[in-house]
Amino acid sequence: MRYTHHLPFLLACLAALLLLPLVLQATGSSYLISTATRLVVFAIAAVSLDLLIGYTGLVSFGHAAFLGVGAYTVGILSFHAYEDTTLIGLPGTLSGLVAIPLALALSALAALVVGALSLRTRGVYFIMITLSFGQMLFFLFVSLEQYGGDDGMMMFEGRNTLPLLDLNDRVSFYYFCLAWFVLFFWFCTWLVRSKFGRTLAAIKQNQDRLSSIGINAYWAKLQVFVIAGVGAGLAGALSANHTEFVSPALTHWTRSGDLMIVVILGGMGTLVGPVLGTFLFLLLEEFLPLILRGLGLGLLSEHWRFVFGPILILVVLYAKTGLYGLIFPRRD
Amino acid sequence: MLEIRNLCKSFGALKAADDVSLTVERGTIHALIGPNGAGKTTLIALLSGYLQPSSGTITFDGQDLLAIPAHLRPHAGLVRSFQVTSVFPEMTVRENVCLVLQSVAGQACSLVRLADADRAEREEAEAALARVGLIDQADALTGNLAHGQKRQVEIAMALAARPKLLLLDEPTAGMGVEESRRIMGLLEDLRDSVTMLLVEHDMDVVFGLADRVSVLVYGKIIASDTPERIRENADVQEAYLGDHELHGEAD
Repeated sequence: MRYTHHLPFLLACLAALLLLPLVLQATGSSYLISTATRLVVFAIAAVSLDLLIGYTGLVSFGHAAFLGVGAYTVGILSFHAYEDTTLIGLPGTLSGLVAIPLALALSALAALVVGALSLRTRGVYFIMITLSFGQMLFFLFVSLEQYGGDDGMMMFEGRNTLPLLDLNDRVSFYYFCLAWFVLFFWFCTWLVRSKFGRTLAAIKQNQDRLSSIGINAYWAKLQVFVIAGVGAGLAGALSANHTEFVSPALTHWTRSGDLMIVVILGGMGTLVGPVLGTFLFLLLEEFLPLILRGLGLGLLSEHWRFVFGPILILVVLYAKTGLYGLIFPRRD
Repeated sequence: MLEIRNLCKSFGALKAADDVSLTVERGTIHALIGPNGAGKTTLIALLSGYLQPSSGTITFDGQDLLAIPAHLRPHAGLVRSFQVTSVFPEMTVRENVCLVLQSVAGQACSLVRLADADRAEREEAEAALARVGLIDQADALTGNLAHGQKRQVEIAMALAARPKLLLLDEPTAGMGVEESRRIMGLLEDLRDSVTMLLVEHDMDVVFGLADRVSVLVYGKIIASDTPERIRENADVQEAYLGDHELHGEAD
């Protein structure tokens, strides 16, 4: 909440993200636009988790579940549009104007149910119960034989359709995702500085005190949990469109773990940090094996996580507020 | 204002509140005294909703208090301060008070505007801080304050909630003489606008402020009277005050 002096940095990042496709095209590496899209999409999920972990002190270990709800909503609608069949009497659709809002609504509903139950607990119990709900949804998706079971399913009709914008064009799709990211990021920045954000900070600092000043902490936590769930659902819906593929792997607990790692790696409670964390994490995941192979370390290249793990540990140990803290050291 | 009837609360075999009946008249300062472990803080917790009683009734301002959830009791006008300082350490002093004000205004979950942009709220918070003598610390992080100053933040937060009945759990505990005197003066000034139930160890504070005094021993109210008559009550002397303290007071 006190980190508000970096508007120039944010604008520079925005400019870089806006120019990125042009640069990549000019340098003949436009295949990297897809990687950039992936970064932007998962940054949305990381930022949404930061609302919970960083700003409210709610360590949710099942956040990837809502990625799954968003992605499967888009995937299932696309499946029925392709098969020309119906689900509980309703036809499928490829229209982004239907699929994306519905994905957001269903992830909100899922977060409402999961939150209503799990927010009655605290601390380690909350971590475990969110993990359990995450795994419950994972196995639910695995059990959906019609939609590919644990193999997942392809979206044979391609991405969602929108009036005026062709999402199948990778540059358009990148800007589409970037627009959602900027919108969501701005919304979160507003939220954490609003009166609601102050209430969330109070929950994190001294939850037991809230009822004595007339604030229902449970209700406030439920609201932020739903908002974060919608953020993850949005990332899921965009991710399904991006890869034209949905599978239960998206909701596996290790995905939830990855999201927690990027939030901690980037710097909790900073919003910017988790974005940086996502970028570093996904870039390392993609390029660390290549770099290691380039260095002639073939064995490490196959077991790149062997190098990746210590890097994470070093960052967490030596940069208390993560990457963010490295870039913006606190002056007080 | 507040009427407690036959209130009981047990923790296993321990009776922390044993058939407690107590009436706090509107516009008075009512002190609750008693030795350590007598159940004073339990009683405050029952009133503020942190604990549920085993049996008994509490009527507050004409309403059945036990039917009101804890987080709505401050909105009904019943506000407490804490014996063990309980503030929001990573917020500034002003933000601590603003948090109370946004709750009073029903804006705890409001996204309408940025928290810092509400000038009226800010001014009201500063007025509350000025009353407790902490205005020069408005921008300090609450966690960095001295103990006595945190106690003053507590009082400022309680006042900001515009209470009808203020439950003060040892308001001057841990304060220096000067701060303690300031808070006593402040409570004296508030006498006409706010009813108070004051739990206190400091006999100077009790006998200096209270209109009535109730004595709680082992979960039972053993006496409830004016300060003068409490001082002369033989049961109270035996159970709690001890002869030398009383004579010291009387001199």
